[in-house]
Amino acid sequence: MNNLLKFAVGIFLTLAFAWLAFVVGARVQFGDLSPISESLDEDNEIPEDADLFPMPQPGLAELGSSEYLALGCSTCHTQQVRMVESGFDVERGWGKRPSMARDYIYQKHVMLGNTRIGPDLTNLGTRILDPEWLHKHLFEPQAVVPESVCPPSPFLYEQQEFSSDHTIDLFDEENNSSRHLIPSSRATRIVAYLQSLKQDYELPEMAFIEEPDAIDLEEISTSVSDLATNEMNLESSALPTWLSQQITSGKEIYSKALPGGGMCVACHQQNGQGLPGAFPPLAGSDWVLGDKERLIKISIHGLQGEIAVNGEKYVGVMQGFGQPLASPLDDQQIADVLTYIRNEWGNSVSSISPEEVKAVRDSEKDRELTSMWTAAELNNFDN
Amino acid sequence: MKENSEQIIDKSLKLAVCFFIASAGLWLLAAAFFAYIASAKLTDPFFLSSFELFTYGKIKLAQANAFVYGWGGNSIFAVTLWVVARLAQAEARGKVLLLFAGSIWNLAITFGLLGILDGHMTPHEMLEMPVEVWPALFLSYGIIATLIIVVHRSRRIKDTIAPQWFLLASLLWFPMLFLIAWNGLEIDAARGTVQSVLSMWFGQNVIWLWLTPVALGSAYYIIPAILGRPIDKYYLAVFGFWCIASLAPWSVVHHLEGGPVPMWIPAIGTVMSIAMIFPIAVASTNFHATAFQDINKVWNSLPLRFVIFGTLSYTVSSYIGVVFSLPAVAKITQFSIINEFHFNQRVYGFFSMIIFGMVYHMLPRITGKEIAKSAKSFHFWTSAFGVLVLLLAYLIGGLTHGVLAQQPSLDWASSVISSVKPYFLITEFAFIILAFSQLVFVINVWKAIIPSPFELLNKLSLIKKGAT
Repeated sequence: MNNLLKFAVGIFLTLAFAWLAFVVGARVQFGDLSPISESLDEDNEIPEDADLFPMPQPGLAELGSSEYLALGCSTCHTQQVRMVESGFDVERGWGKRPSMARDYIYQKHVMLGNTRIGPDLTNLGTRILDPEWLHKHLFEPQAVVPESVCPPSPFLYEQQEFSSDHTIDLFDEENNSSRHLIPSSRATRIVAYLQSLKQDYELPEMAFIEEPDAIDLEEISTSVSDLATNEMNLESSALPTWLSQQITSGKEIYSKALPGGGMCVACHQQNGQGLPGAFPPLAGSDWVLGDKERLIKISIHGLQGEIAVNGEKYVGVMQGFGQPLASPLDDQQIADVLTYIRNEWGNSVSSISPEEVKAVRDSEKDRELTSMWTAAELNNFDN
Repeated sequence: MKENSEQIIDKSLKLAVCFFIASAGLWLLAAAFFAYIASAKLTDPFFLSSFELFTYGKIKLAQANAFVYGWGGNSIFAVTLWVVARLAQAEARGKVLLLFAGSIWNLAITFGLLGILDGHMTPHEMLEMPVEVWPALFLSYGIIATLIIVVHRSRRIKDTIAPQWFLLASLLWFPMLFLIAWNGLEIDAARGTVQSVLSMWFGQNVIWLWLTPVALGSAYYIIPAILGRPIDKYYLAVFGFWCIASLAPWSVVHHLEGGPVPMWIPAIGTVMSIAMIFPIAVASTNFHATAFQDINKVWNSLPLRFVIFGTLSYTVSSYIGVVFSLPAVAKITQFSIINEFHFNQRVYGFFSMIIFGMVYHMLPRITGKEIAKSAKSFHFWTSAFGVLVLLLAYLIGGLTHGVLAQQPSLDWASSVISSVKPYFLITEFAFIILAFSQLVFVINVWKAIIPSPFELLNKLSLIKKGAT
């Protein structure tokens, strides 16, 4: 380290390795992405006539992005929806899917940002459709969001005494007076830019994320129609409202965490198949389709020890949802979720009513809520 | 004889070092002013809102740039020049050229900050000053760095020691980083988020490879110099140095966790951030094992008290930084005001505190004037208190911010940000204390540098008397 030249080469090399990866490597890997269709066909080719995304920014929006930069907006606003495992951005409703590198290829200034004192703006254009709201927010954020800490930008507007076709009228309830704003061309550009912010298309590398507790109405109506044709043997696919309501609510409970949900999905999975060797399936299970009383008992008190489902052996513990948890499921909720699992994934048998659950609860009044059933106990009782 | 040669060296440095310290002090005040305005605007958004010049985003960037390039740059020049010359036992060369380049550097930053306030900034981290000022900055930096290297190369003792490694590496890293970033962002501009990776890499490395090594090198110099005992386990220093050199440039990109870039980029960043515990452990062992052998002396010497505050802050908060780079934690803290904690801790609690200590050590030797102990002491306590309050507010506020932001059901403005507002108020209070503290520092420094007018008059009259 005494020779300055050798020393300089040494510290340059340590830097150069990282430079090779993050600058040269990154550039080779995703420096020349091109627009693409929402999905690819079987040969991994872009289908003909498909719209290509992302689309270039409109001219006015591109001018607006320079104004946005010049005001320093990106100090407090990010423009990136993180991966689902890295944050709750999708759940918060800031985007239907995480942002991908491809989304940014046409942006003149890429302003991902690193601090969120204000909300993320990646998809502002899909959330706020009214340009007047944006103008009001730009002029005085507190006029539309009272608690906002965003600084007002009155210098982007001229004010006049009276209302006209070109003014944006801001009503002040306290003084019972209105202010009439005329947006400058800069304000118009910024609003055009904000409205252009949307990643509302899918990409082959990233589809929209379905929220786990969102209810897919289409799917329910099909399983419900199966149910109707199979069991009730009705010509019309219409289903009693109470039944479809029970199934809808049951599906929510199945996927939702406490409170108000059972988080069944954690073990029995979205497809009801469980995990081989660990958690038993619900789809086509003799326990689910069989005796109702047995099923209700398990839901209330839980089950432990060895159990045979469709001939397969499983050993484990399932908690009971009538147990004094932070918020146990009530009769209606247990009825709903059991009705749901008896009518999903090809299962199609009778529903379970809250009264039936209550009856079982009453008959087992003396049993402690924390004492779990064993398979032997249940089956003996059954015989 | 030895004493004499040191005095000659100090005399040759006096002009340039005093110039750099004096300008660094002014930039520090400018940064404090901006920091106060920015924090006041967060507590009251209507504060100065009708002036476009004072938009929050601009003020915030002006503060960071004034701090890093104005205060950081000038004090780096002063400290590096003085330590390198002292260790080389060689006189400074090209004093006029140093002053000239230093003036250009400061002028360029002045124009750069005006450019930011006028809305001409670039979107790239720590490169926000308008593109026009960068060639001037680069050129003046080149002149100053070359002149420092000339001093180093004329050294009497061939073997180099830890302070020299850190200071020279920092001197050489900045232009390398700058050229790489300039090439990728301006000359042959990359598209899309490749830009973001590069700008984050540069912005974070300015802190890690430019400011940090100077502070570490200063600590390696001043602790043995004042205590009069060698660095404990000095043989580890070379390992620590190369660890920082090879890990830091990789670790800085972990801030892109979950972002629109290929996953390997933040993943490597996270792994390397965790590996950073080795160099952090080495530096803190070296510093603290030495300092705690004679803690009374550390406490009684104000420069050293500043430096040890800085190194302790480095150790503690670097470990906190490692924890915050873990994906499970980053998920919560990533976009919260914890980022402010990291920035202020590094440039303030660590870098600036060590530089304050160095300046108080250097100035009396160069100017021959002692700075009043009470003034230094006041500066230390207000700084220490202000920094602690500031960092705690950002840390606790950042955790609140991050945890609440993870609850999708909470409304953004009325629940999440409203809960962080009290912490904004605390930071405003802390910035006021710090501004006072910095004012005291600058007055201390300027008093030592600028000869008092009465003394001048006395001297003049003496000369006149002599003439007649």
